[in-house]
Amino acid sequence: MKHGIELKINGDAYEVLVSSNQTLLEVLRDKLGLMGTKRGCDLGACGACTVLIDGEAYLSCITLAMDAVGKDITTIEGLSQGGDLHPLQRAFVEKGAIQCGFCSPGMILTAGAILDEEERPTEESLKKKMAGNLCRCTGYKKIVEAVLSVAKQTETED
Amino acid sequence: MRLPKFDYVEPRSIKEASSILSDDPKAKILAGGTDLLVNMKHRVELPSVIVNIKRIPELDFIEEKNGSIRIGALASLKSVYGNPLIEEKLPALTLAASSVGSYHHQIMGTIGGNICQQNRCKFFNQSKWWRSSREPCLKTGGETCYVVNKKGTCYSSYSGDIAPALLVMNATVRLESNTGVREASVEDLFSGDGKTPLHLEGGEILTHVIIPEKAATGFSMYMKFANRESIDFPIVGMALWASMERKEVRVSFTAVDRRPIRARGVENFLRGKYLSEEILGEAVGLASKEGAPVKTSLYSPSYKRKLMGLLLKSALKEAMRRQRR
Repeated sequence: MKHGIELKINGDAYEVLVSSNQTLLEVLRDKLGLMGTKRGCDLGACGACTVLIDGEAYLSCITLAMDAVGKDITTIEGLSQGGDLHPLQRAFVEKGAIQCGFCSPGMILTAGAILDEEERPTEESLKKKMAGNLCRCTGYKKIVEAVLSVAKQTETED
Repeated sequence: MRLPKFDYVEPRSIKEASSILSDDPKAKILAGGTDLLVNMKHRVELPSVIVNIKRIPELDFIEEKNGSIRIGALASLKSVYGNPLIEEKLPALTLAASSVGSYHHQIMGTIGGNICQQNRCKFFNQSKWWRSSREPCLKTGGETCYVVNKKGTCYSSYSGDIAPALLVMNATVRLESNTGVREASVEDLFSGDGKTPLHLEGGEILTHVIIPEKAATGFSMYMKFANRESIDFPIVGMALWASMERKEVRVSFTAVDRRPIRARGVENFLRGKYLSEEILGEAVGLASKEGAPVKTSLYSPSYKRKLMGLLLKSALKEAMRRQRR
């Protein structure tokens, strides 16, 4: 059965017709054309499909679209403000934390959620929390460096 | 990978959810979805109706009441390990909750869902394509359990991290249906049948977990050995609770049987004894005899038995350090 629902994504309201068995990932990519959110394992193990729901990192491939009604969804498309990259996006570019780029949206959103929760995570705590995001280019070192550099920036601003 | 088709409902009360469940035995509860939706993508679970209980307001809480700690079924694993009261009084639960899956799973996953997760097995947790090379196994509707190549019993193993921690705390769960409410010990919640791991009457929903006041009077910990330390199910998991004053130790294991088990042989041996290096060896030997591990994963039963002993050894050593203080 199809349901007409409203999803709030990156501050905009989208009205979509979805089946109950459609995941949030399918709706984002196939219905709304928001291709920044990646389909990796599609089984909740790789983190490529990470989106923020009410500020927390969720796996959109194992979240029903119906379940996201009434929540604030942020995808990678919603991070930059007025054409400027988000500090995490800039850090990923500057530190060379992007190779093929497939894991980057998930990595950046997870890192964003972590930094919101813990302003200055230790390297150990950051690595533990980001362990659910896989990078098959194995560029983990640069990714951790990039996230920690943003955490450090906020420190100097204080 | 598309999910199979199903009807979807969002009940607003436990009673409403329960009557849907009792009317249709093929209906399933959705909480965090990290177990159910993955199994559905693999077509090993094909519910007719998904009953999303997350819109029921009164199920997400952590509170202390008359000394006991009560946790709502919808409390996320992250909120469990992030709770200072639990961290101070029930460290085993903090350790268990923070060891589940990845950060995402801890945000999405709920304590009720973790307890009620499906049993696991290398023949069951596979894609439809992988499974298509042979007749369905017993758990997926066939006749034979390929783990032991016998008919009649499903040997899949229970692999949750939270249940063993609750077992050593003598915790109970509240089960509510549209016809009544009952409390059951966590131990009695599990049936020991791999095919239907939970002892639930028609329409019953686990609404919250109750951890008795006395659980906070002892030292507790949870340890897990997994393929990947960061995000994996346990190869073997172990919880230990110890009261130095009462000279009482409680031990439980997960992923070594069709249900999470209390290691009563070890507990009886350690009762009334002062923990020391001399008795460590015997306790470790007894731990390896508990449970009934079979080859449900890539790891052999003998390897699992060895791990059970080693985990107990590390935990008892930690308990001994505290005993001396």
